[in-house]
Amino acid sequence: MEQSGTSTRLQAAVQGLASGVVSALRGGDHPHVVPAGDGAEAGDLALAAVRVLGADALLPGLVRPTPPDPAEVAVFRKAVEAYPPRPDAAPTVRWSHWGMTRALRRLDPSFLPGPSAEPDTGWLEGAGWQYLTHQLAVLAPLAVPGEECAVSALAARRPVDVARGFVRAVRRRDWRQAAGAGRWLTLLPGVPDTVGLEAGLDFVELMGGQDPLVVLQVQAARAARTGAPV
Amino acid sequence: MRSEQITEELTGVKSADIEAALDPVEADGVYRDSRQCAAAALLSGAAKLLLSPPTPRPKKG
Amino acid sequence: MTAPDGVTDVRRTAETALAWVDAHRAGFTLGEDALAVDGEADRSWKPLGELAQVCVTVSRHTERSDPLHARARALLDFAWRETEEGDLFLRLHRLEPFATYPLEVYATLASAGYRHRAFEEAAAVVARTRGWRLTEQDPTRRLGVLRAEERCGIRRPSPAPEPPLTWLGGLPEPWTFERDAGYALTHVVFHLTDWGDDAAGLPPGLAAYLADWLPPWIDTCLEARKWDLSAELLAVAAVVARPAGDLPPFDAWQVLRAAQRPAGELPLEDRDPPPEEPGAPALPADDEWYFLHHYHSTLMAAFAAVLTCERPAAPPAGTGARHRHGGRGAPR
Repeated sequence: MEQSGTSTRLQAAVQGLASGVVSALRGGDHPHVVPAGDGAEAGDLALAAVRVLGADALLPGLVRPTPPDPAEVAVFRKAVEAYPPRPDAAPTVRWSHWGMTRALRRLDPSFLPGPSAEPDTGWLEGAGWQYLTHQLAVLAPLAVPGEECAVSALAARRPVDVARGFVRAVRRRDWRQAAGAGRWLTLLPGVPDTVGLEAGLDFVELMGGQDPLVVLQVQAARAARTGAPV
Repeated sequence: MRSEQITEELTGVKSADIEAALDPVEADGVYRDSRQCAAAALLSGAAKLLLSPPTPRPKKG
Repeated sequence: MTAPDGVTDVRRTAETALAWVDAHRAGFTLGEDALAVDGEADRSWKPLGELAQVCVTVSRHTERSDPLHARARALLDFAWRETEEGDLFLRLHRLEPFATYPLEVYATLASAGYRHRAFEEAAAVVARTRGWRLTEQDPTRRLGVLRAEERCGIRRPSPAPEPPLTWLGGLPEPWTFERDAGYALTHVVFHLTDWGDDAAGLPPGLAAYLADWLPPWIDTCLEARKWDLSAELLAVAAVVARPAGDLPPFDAWQVLRAAQRPAGELPLEDRDPPPEEPGAPALPADDEWYFLHHYHSTLMAAFAAVLTCERPAAPPAGTGARHRHGGRGAPR
């Protein structure tokens, strides 16, 4: 598949941002995840990267007891407002944006956008387990403990299918999908024990750990499992 | 709308790039099975009977 | 209606696959190599043993009036003639008394009623030794040998040996599956269920585990174009689905069918799409390499297809009518 130069730069920026989130989740020396930009080119690329990483850009602030840096929340809010989904956008684009508004509402009480209704889940109703898992993995930022939505409710009805998708993703060495699916599995009731999720997450991190987006999902999954920073 | 256009001009990041990143196609599967190393195998040949297919290769002659 | 059409297609897979096998009987002949000291058993006894096992299953799961049944019986007669009505087993036994493969191949034919008393007596003498019983084997293979002994009336001294611990029996993380684990697990199921005849031979825990994880294994083996293993897994899926009355995975069957060549054969694996039209580039069908690269997958496709087609017509579990051949298939 051909990638434009912009798309490559955007991917690099997303990876950099993901590394920062991983570091913050580990309680490391990178407490400020979202860079405070103010209109410069680098700042705008970072803003786009925040939009792509979605609600996970603020994940440290959501899973840790310390309140997030208001400047970071402000940049996150800017990304939410700068890149609203177009009316014909793909469902994952719309849900990703909705996930960001949900995170923002929790961290920034002054954020009260107009329509907060959830997008629909029609495109996943009756989907095969392979496609379901791929789409859920793309929407892994919605897999947050204690946060319900129509997507998480749909996933909760198909734990075995998502577990099958996890197995398939590992077999295909699609570590991003495996990590995203693994994160969902930590939240779903009724996943067969034999899947061996803990060892599976370790394996995915071992094999795909050079990709910060993989590590981010694995860390988020572990945080969801233990309910504590990792 | 206007601010979006300005952003695109400054950074070259188009909404389409962002949407593509948020709606990726599935990567192709990559498969490689563990090989068998004869040095570690005490049993070979007939031991595989009825278990796995033979390695196809032409018979001499 | 998808279901009946799907079954019809699967049934056609069995017909075309077995037709190819029948047309390539010559590939299964034992030849000089069968007893030669440097002959490769994997290229003589193994193909014949597999042919026999698949035909036993096909004949058990089809009506007498079914052309598929007649073809399978004819191929069994052919296989038995190749062993010179069992004499070759005895001669092989004198050459390699401690080899297990002659007993394994013989046991398959014996389960269909082809018996050779002198070979059975000879095998029983050797099987009484501690050495025979202590032969070191892969756990899956060991299970197969124990089943072969049962089929031939050989009784190990009590207590009965513990079933060997296999990959499948340990309920491993399903994402650790790869090729060799796949071949091992399918054969564990085949041995436990007497090659799909007795679905109840599968302990409920294993059946539930398989029902959970067969879909991603089949999906990825098909994507990797490992056709023989895909067919073996589809056979296991048919056995697992039978008691529950679940529908077969018709979409997976469609992928397998697409890999079948026009004459009915299925390659072991390939990286190229199948030829679009009959007569498209293909190796000469009588080439030995071609035979060795296709016979196993083709047999497994016929085997899996017959087990899959049998399923919807099977009486509900618990009626006992399913066990038409008694017990685990051990002849008395």
